[in-house]
Amino acid sequence: MSHAPDRSGTWIGWAFFADLADGLALTFGYMFSRSVTMQYPDKEKWLPYSRYRGHHFLKRDEEGEIKCVACELCARICPCYCIEVIPYEDEKGNRRPAKFEIDMARCLFCGLCEDACPADAIALGQQYEFSSFSSRDLVVGRDDLLDKPGKATTGGGVVAARLNTEQDVLVETSEPQGYDWWRNIRRT
Amino acid sequence: MELVVALGLIAFKVALLIAILLLLPLPLTWVERKIAGHIQQRMGPMRVGWHGLLQPVADGIKLLTKEDHIPAEADRFLFKLAPILALAPPFVVFVAIPFGESISVLGHEITLYVSNMNVALLFVFAVIGIEVYGVIFGGWAANSKYAVLGSLRTCAQMISYEIPMGFAVIGVVMLAQSMSLLDIVRAQADVWNIVYQPVGFFVFFVAGLAEAQRIPFDLAEAEGDLGAGFHTEYSGIRFAFFMVSEYAVMLLVSVLSVILFFGGWNGVLIPLPPLLWFVLKVAFFVYLFMWFRFTFPRYRYDQLMAIGWKVLLPLSLANIIITGVAFL
Ligand code: SF4
Ligand code: SF4
Repeated sequence: MSHAPDRSGTWIGWAFFADLADGLALTFGYMFSRSVTMQYPDKEKWLPYSRYRGHHFLKRDEEGEIKCVACELCARICPCYCIEVIPYEDEKGNRRPAKFEIDMARCLFCGLCEDACPADAIALGQQYEFSSFSSRDLVVGRDDLLDKPGKATTGGGVVAARLNTEQDVLVETSEPQGYDWWRNIRRT
Repeated sequence: MELVVALGLIAFKVALLIAILLLLPLPLTWVERKIAGHIQQRMGPMRVGWHGLLQPVADGIKLLTKEDHIPAEADRFLFKLAPILALAPPFVVFVAIPFGESISVLGHEITLYVSNMNVALLFVFAVIGIEVYGVIFGGWAANSKYAVLGSLRTCAQMISYEIPMGFAVIGVVMLAQSMSLLDIVRAQADVWNIVYQPVGFFVFFVAGLAEAQRIPFDLAEAEGDLGAGFHTEYSGIRFAFFMVSEYAVMLLVSVLSVILFFGGWNGVLIPLPPLLWFVLKVAFFVYLFMWFRFTFPRYRYDQLMAIGWKVLLPLSLANIIITGVAFL
């Protein structure tokens, strides 16, 4: 409350608790202002920014071949030692990963693997809902990584969503772009 | 026959009162969390039932099924006694509280109070004073430093705030010429006491905040510095007892404020049923309590004592003298 009148030194304000009343008025105003709660997962969901670092994904080149050349640089730079790459030579004589596993339970989503990759083969995408009851399920292999969603193109918004628990727990949404969450923040 | 009917009626009223007082904390916790949420631009409970309405039920079940833990070094007898001592007095007090004149059901006039004592006010203060034992025993028996500190603070706080609280209502008693709460309300039929006794109300309400252990005077609990104060070591149903007692005292202070200073069930301007007026006024005070809680920080202990002895006590004494002089 920087714009509150300075009542220090005026005895009337002191005697009638003007500053307490100011505080009460402020909280009363807040009480009827919009709430900023994002009702995830029941009603709303946040779409990540394109720079968001979520679940990894492996990229393919134009011919649909996996881009990774199994140089293991990502495995080397990873501060958590959570990537394991085993190379092999495919029919065309290219070096490719036979096994490419990331332990998501240990990953800290620093993005160093993405930075280190010389073939632009790995990146951190937009998926952030992959919690699991067993940490073993969080070890993701090559083929799963190829299917993971890539970077978000739009993002940074809150969209209407629906919680679906029929089979798996899913938070579904059909809207591509939502409202800016910050619009509800009240600034006085 | 007459006697049996009268006794049955009293038993029914008491049972109803106990049921209401035991169940009222459920919606009140919901309301409090909603108010807290919205003041902090959150939504409060939303997921259990419509807008979280069933949240208190879920919490209640959780409290009932939780382990009832007694610390190894605790004084087991006092530890078990304390929640009951804290819970009983606020319930007993409501026996003396009138909620309205009377309503007619099936041709019978039924009074909306259990008993009309001629010393009701004295009774209320005497019984509510006992509540402090629950807090002291609870803190002492748990054998934990946080609990002892919390109950020591409460002890000093309750004793020093009961004095101005008692003095504050003397003005009201002088105006009504009676200590019966019924007569006090009847005396306010035209003009509410708040008009004649603004200072008395101020002292009473501030002392009531302290008595109910609510922010800004909730030093007994002071979750910031004492864990949870005197009930740090309590869990499960015993903790629920303390919670219910706290809400009952809050309700009591609201009810007393309405009866003593805001005309009880006497309405103004809008003709509503007296009972509705009463409930609305009490609801306003309960809201005020919650509103305060999420607005003000907690006072420091020495400030609390200074307010009690250096501000409220002289104010309440001055109020008595001025009322007396004006009366003469
Ligand atoms: S984001 Fe960081 S921690 Fe995770 S796999 Fe890549 S380098 Fe390792
Ligand atoms: S993902 Fe990139 S850095 Fe990692 S092994 Fe493949 S090519 Fe090398």
